[in-house]
Order: sequence, then structure tokens, then C-alpha cells
Amino acid sequence: MELSVPDREFMYSGHVACPGCGAAIAMRFVLKALGEKIIMVIPACCWSIIAGPYPMSTLRVPVLHTAFETGGSVASGIKAALEVRGDHETTVVTWAGDGGTFDIGFQALSGAVERNEDFIYICYDNEAYMNTGIQRSSSTPYGAWTTTTPGQDWKKMRKKNIVEALVAHRIRYAATANIAFPEDLINKVKKAKNMKGSRFIHIFSTCPTGWRVPSEMSIKIARMAVQTNIFPLYEVENGVEYTINYRPKGYLVKEYFKLQGRFSHLTEEDLDQIQEMVEEDWKLLLRKAGVFSGS
Amino acid sequence: MKNSNRANMCVPLLIPRSYKTSEENKTGSWRFLRPRYLEKTAPCSSACPVGQDIPRIQMLAVQGSFKEAWELLLSENPFPGTCGRVCFHPCESACNRLEFDEAVAIRMIERFLADTASRYELQPRLNKLAEKGKKVAIIGSGPGGLSAAYFLALLGYSCDVFESSNKPGGMLRWAIPFYRLPLKVLEEEIARIESLGVRIFCNHHVEFEKFKHLRSNYDAIFVSCGYQKGRRLNIPGEESPGVEDGLTFLRELKSDPSSPSLHGSVAVIGGGNTAIDVARSVLRCGAKPVIVYRRRKEDMRAFGEEIKMALDEGVRIEELKSPLKIEKKESGVILTLQKMKVAGIDESGRAAIEPDNTDPEIVSYDRVFVAIGTEPSEPWYVCDSCSGKDIKLYNSVMRFDGQFPVIFGGDLTTEAKTVTNAIASGKEAAMALDVLFRIGKDFVLPEISRCRVGNGLSVSMEIYLNGERKNRVSHVVSYAEINTDYFNLIPRTPQPRLLREERINSFSEIDLKISGSVAMKEAGRCFNCGICNHCDNCYLFCPEIAVKRQDSEEGGLRAINYDYCKGCGLCVVECPRNAMVLEEESA
Ligand SMILES: Cc1ncc(C[n+]2csc(CCOP(=O)(O)OP(=O)(O)O)c2C)c(N)n1
Ligand code: SF4
Ligand SMILES: [Mg+2]
Repeated sequence: MELSVPDREFMYSGHVACPGCGAAIAMRFVLKALGEKIIMVIPACCWSIIAGPYPMSTLRVPVLHTAFETGGSVASGIKAALEVRGDHETTVVTWAGDGGTFDIGFQALSGAVERNEDFIYICYDNEAYMNTGIQRSSSTPYGAWTTTTPGQDWKKMRKKNIVEALVAHRIRYAATANIAFPEDLINKVKKAKNMKGSRFIHIFSTCPTGWRVPSEMSIKIARMAVQTNIFPLYEVENGVEYTINYRPKGYLVKEYFKLQGRFSHLTEEDLDQIQEMVEEDWKLLLRKAGVFSGS
Repeated sequence: MKNSNRANMCVPLLIPRSYKTSEENKTGSWRFLRPRYLEKTAPCSSACPVGQDIPRIQMLAVQGSFKEAWELLLSENPFPGTCGRVCFHPCESACNRLEFDEAVAIRMIERFLADTASRYELQPRLNKLAEKGKKVAIIGSGPGGLSAAYFLALLGYSCDVFESSNKPGGMLRWAIPFYRLPLKVLEEEIARIESLGVRIFCNHHVEFEKFKHLRSNYDAIFVSCGYQKGRRLNIPGEESPGVEDGLTFLRELKSDPSSPSLHGSVAVIGGGNTAIDVARSVLRCGAKPVIVYRRRKEDMRAFGEEIKMALDEGVRIEELKSPLKIEKKESGVILTLQKMKVAGIDESGRAAIEPDNTDPEIVSYDRVFVAIGTEPSEPWYVCDSCSGKDIKLYNSVMRFDGQFPVIFGGDLTTEAKTVTNAIASGKEAAMALDVLFRIGKDFVLPEISRCRVGNGLSVSMEIYLNGERKNRVSHVVSYAEINTDYFNLIPRTPQPRLLREERINSFSEIDLKISGSVAMKEAGRCFNCGICNHCDNCYLFCPEIAVKRQDSEEGGLRAINYDYCKGCGLCVVECPRNAMVLEEESA
């Protein structure tokens, strides 16, 4: 069966991501879509480690490791330098975790997008500060256990909606993607590559270690996040044109929660409440997409 | 900076730059679970009496490799055109897709492949082994006998088939009406068997004396002369004129295509496929058939689809009526019928019956056909009790007359008396004789059981000949083992058919052809349970880039690079069809 996924690899074996790491899978797909004419900026995150201890590299593309909060600003600087050298071809790509995007890197990102810097910002979202030991971020979902939201102090705030925050900037292109949907993911990255201005792709990436799930369930769980509407697949152009890429099949959110250790403390009532929250978010998205609820 | 050569001066590089790859980290040392490709058995294949490699046939059909798919069919069964029409398709009842939406239309695809090969006059590449210098006599040219001849010829034996009637084919030729199996299909398949050097001697009835005589000219005999004789009702009046044997009627009808015209109301006694065939043929000859059956409609042995079509064509079924006697009257016969009632249900789900207390019913008919089953036509054919010296196989029995091997097959030994079971017994007999001649008696049973497909009664010639398929394990893939995230609900393609009005006046084939694109679409519904169809999920989702797919075009399995595989197990879970396993790493 032929797949519409490019054959070429831009990642080497021998990296040190945990078994079943969703972020490693995400990187592999993204690079397949982008090809070699890129410069990648990686602020502190798991991928700072996965990319290889000096003098090794896991990637066949140039990578610049930078400080945690600087994903947006370093990329802006590199793009400006390339322009000065007359290189209008190389794509600058920031690759950051959710902590580096939703939290500490947010102002640099917001600034770059407000200036409509010509680059692609990719956030691989594993829903916590995983590299430093599973601390909650503003991307950690409602209900989750982390080492900073332990026991009965599980997180009681909603996950920040980063795509909508960027859409509010009227960003050229913003999209969600998921490691369980490789063709959709690769299409979106390719589409972004052919645009100018700021582009943002939010990739749902399972973290077996931090979510307390078996490594072999990584893709299954990521897929369920989409099937249950917890993480809808959609894209927004110019901050206004919404396209929903996947119509869910009516799975209940508890199917997704049941599989993960980080949610094991939740009661049936908690899960019912989460189901309502997910439905509310979905309705909101449908309204924005100009689709009137029901389906 | 002291360097005086200004041309060489540049901003010093103050950041470290990597210069080698991570490939020297052999992350395979982290692994404590080991994924491995391990093909398994599909439920359809295991349920198929001839053990067809159905998931692979569907895979080839989807790719448009119709010739290869047809050759694969022929490697296990010389009659795909016939079975694609008349097989009772237990494969479809076992199909895992049944639990998801509807079974794959496996038989329809088999027929499509056979018809396509016939339409384009394709010549199959059959692997005929070198002559072994031994001769086998085969008694009966039905599906069992001809299959034994076909496979024996392929295995390098010379075969002579003895047929008592004037044409070969047995029940396929004489009992199955043309509207189910056109003559051309059967004749082409028989011709292909003859083209391998098989000689068929018609008008050669083998009675017991002749049978003993054959022993001196051959190295073995395969007996597959079927259940040819119609069973009797054993009620008074059975011998009256106007009461006839259903099989004889079908046989006459098939030998003389200018069908006799019948009229009035005709009773057909029985509930099996023959009864249905007789009733539907009677209808096509112009009379009104009524099936009289002792039990309930749902207890009939005939295939459900056939019963449905018969009813649709206007055949009536009188259920729970048992004939007590038959009397001749001026023009026709009078049947005395006892009404029966259900007295419990047996283990197989059929009703046990007993007479109702009401008075018998008296009905008159123009003719009566009896079709209550068949039995062997000569007592020495019978092979139901096995002695300790016999080798009882799954579909056939090998018996020794002194040192001389005689194998019994077809209806004489198979559990279910169907065309496909007879074919299975012929194939098994060919394999068994080959083992006997090559390595001896003691190896017959172990060799045949090595070739079993899954946990059923079917055996595979491909496995016997040590083809790729022998690497599959017998574990039958269940629905729960399919990753249904990779499949969408798609309704089964209905079999196109002649309209009822077009059917009832002629013996033209009812089931119509389908196009290549319809066949490919239907084959695409198959999960390909247990086999690798190169979907490449394992390659795609491996976070370690440890799944290699060189030389994959030819269809070999993918390979895992254990230097880097960390044993996360993603490939095994994301394999949609359970063609992999995850096992504990041996220390
Ligand atoms: C200014 C600063 N504060 C803290 C850190 C320590 N640190 C390194 S990675 C990391 C977590 C990153 O989390 P996230 O961006 O979600 O990426 P992940 O590790 O989950 O892949 C932290 C807190 C740092 N490198 N710099
Ligand atoms: S889905 Fe295909 S392989 Fe699986 S049981 Fe059905 S026909 Fe056989
Ligand atoms: Mg994170």
C-alpha cells in the first residue's frame, strides 16, 4: 500500500528519547515534510536532549539550541540574518515544547507573530514540563496529575487554548496536528512551508513516561484524543478561515482518560464534568468554523 | 588576534558544532520486549474446507494482480470457477469483518478471478514436479476424484480416472442446475486438469471385481465415487408411478437441455440442497413446486440463500409435515401427510419433532419427487468405521489392503458432504500418497497435520510444498486482535442477480458478473487478518527509525533493526492486522 509520506529520513537512530516517545515521532514526520533546507531552533525541552549530546547529532539538519524563553526571538533573528545574506530559501523553524510555548516562551512568540516574522513555529505538546520531571504547564489538561499537582491537588484549571491565542494575533496560518494522523500532519507542515509570514503548528505528542501509559499505547492514545474531540484537528488561515479536518465518531472522553495513569484518580462525576467541558469547547469551535452544532 | 593574513580573518566560531551522528548509540540495549513479524492464520482460511489463502488473495486482488490471485486459488483448489459459484462459503460466516459491519464477499471475488482468467484465456503457471514413476487409479470423476488427480499430477504421478457415466464431473455435472453452474465453467476446469496429463475413462464402472483387478496395474487407488443413490422414504406406495427420485430428475434434465415440460402441482419431499434444486428446476419447467419437509424451514439443510431465492421465485414450503403413504390415482398421486410438532431443540439448534395429534392431511399432486439425501451406491464404497490399521486423516481415510494403499475420499469420508469438502479430501489424499511413496507410512499423519490451516479440517498444499505460508502460525486471528482504527464502515457489495421474472423461465445463470473495480473495492474491505500487506504502519510509527523496508516491493516482510529497537511495542499495536508479536526479550 503506498503512503503519501515522503521516504527520506532526516533523523538518525540512536537518539535517547524514551521508548514510544511521541515527540520523536512528531519530529520525524515534520522533517519528512520540511526537507533539508531549514534551520531549526530548539529552546530548552526534551528535544534539547534527544537532538544529541555534543558532539553527536540526531538530525540531518542544522539545529541551534537556545535558551528556554527565546524560541520566537531567536528565530526572528536568524531569519533576519539569512535575509541579509541573501538567502530567501531556507525556512526557519522553531521547535519547542508546551512549556517553552504556552508559558515561558509565550511573549517572544507573541511578539514574533505580531510582527508577522517569516517562520514556522512548531509546538510539540506533551502537556507538561517533561524534561525536568513532569511539572504542570498551562498546557496540562484539567484533571491531570503531575509532580507539581500531586494527589488530590490535581490540576483544576483548563488547558490554555494556544491556537486560539495565536489566531487572535490574526496569524497567517495556525493548525493542530497529531502523531496518530501522519498524512494530515505532513500535509499541514507542507502547506505551512509554502506560505510566508508567521505559521504555527500545534502537535499533540504522547509522553508515555509523564502520562503513565505503556509505551506501545502512544499512538492509540493520541488517536483517541482526536476521536473523543479532546484535541480536534483543524486549521485557521489569516485568523478567520476555519477548516475542521476530522469529524469525530462520538467516542466518550472517559475512554481516553481510562487508559492513562495521570488521570487514574478521577471519579465518574469528574469525568462527566470533563465530558461537558469538551462538548462546550467543541461547540465553540464549530461556531467559529461557521458550522452549527449538532454534528 | 595576531594573524596578519586579513583575508583569512573571520569571526571566530564560538559555539560548539556537532560533527557526528547518534548512530553509535546502540539503543537496542534498552530493550526488554522484542517485537517480531509473525504471520498468523485468518479465520476465513481456517474455515475454508480447502484452506484457501483468502487474506492474501484479497491483498493481490486489491493491487489488481488478478492473475497472481487466481494462481494462488489454483494452488489449493482446481475448481475456483465452480467454487466461486456453488461453495457454501463457510469463510464468509467466519470472516472477522462480520463483527465490524458485514463479511467480505469472498466467494464473489473468487468467481470474479476465475471468470477473468477464463475471459482472457490466461494460462496459469503451475509448478509441476518431476515424474515420480508411479501410477494412481482414481474411481469417480467428481470434485474429489478430479482434485486428487490434479494434485497427484502436479506432484509427479500419472493418474487414470474411471467414471461410470458418459461424462466426467460427478455431481457438478449431473446434480447442480445450470442456473447455478453453467456447463462451460465446469468443462474448462476439467480440461485444465486433463491438460496436466490426467486420463479420464468414461463409461467405466468399477465394481468390486474390477477394483481388485486395478490393484495389479497401479500403485494406489483413490476411491471417491460419492453418494450417488437417492435415499428411500420407506413408506407404502413409494414405488407408484409418478413418484420419482429427485437426483435422477436433475440428471435427466441436465443431460437433455430441451427441458421436459411439467404441469400442475408437484411435491418435492426433503429439505436439503437437492430438494431446493429439484423444486427450482420444476418451477422452471412450468409446474408449481411445493417442498414438503418434516421439520421447520429454519432446520433445512439447504443453504439459506438458496432457500430465500427459491421462496422468492415462488416455491412453496410446507413445513412440519411428514409423508405417511403415497397412493396412485388416475392422473397423479395422493400424499398422506402427518402434521408434526416441535418437541425440543437438539444441540445443533435443529428442532426435534414428533407427530401432532391431529388427523393426517390428504393432498393430491401431479407428481412427487423424493430428495431426502443420498447414500453410496455400492456397499464396498462405505468407509465409515475405521480400523486401527487405517490412517484417519482430516478429510480422507487411508486403508491398507495388505501393503496396497487405498484412500477413500469425497462424500465417503468427509464430515460435510459438499463440493468443497470433496475437493479438500482429494487434495489431502494426493498429499498423503506422496508422503507414503516418498518417506513411508509412519510419516503420513504427522506430515498432513503439519499442513493444517489454523485449527480446522483444512490442509494447504502450499504449506506441504514448503512455500512461504508455512511460516505462519496456526493461531487464528480474532476480531479483538484487529486494530479497527484503521478501517472504515463500508457496506458489502451485493451480488448482482437476474430479476425474479428473468430467472423463472430459463436455466440461465442467476448470479451476474461484477467488474474489476467492484472486485477491487470489495477485496479492499478485507482486513487481511494475520498477514503483512505492507501497509507500513510499523515503519511509519517507529520512533527509532528501526524498521527497514528495503526489498519490500517483492512483498517480503519488513525487517527490524535490533541495534536500535528499544522495544516500545508501538509497531505491534499499530499493526492493523496482527501480523506481529511482542515477546519478552531473552536474557
Ligand atoms: C529559564 C529556564 N528555566 C528552566 C529551565 C529548565 N528546563 C529545561 S527544559 C524544561 C522543561 C521544558 O518543558 P517543555 O517546554 O514542555 O518541554 P518538554 O521537556 O516537556 O519536552 C525546564 C523547566 C531552563 N532550561 N531555562
Ligand atoms: S476480513 Fe479478510 S482475512 Fe479477515 S476473516 Fe474476513 S476475509 Fe478473512
Ligand atoms: Mg512539555
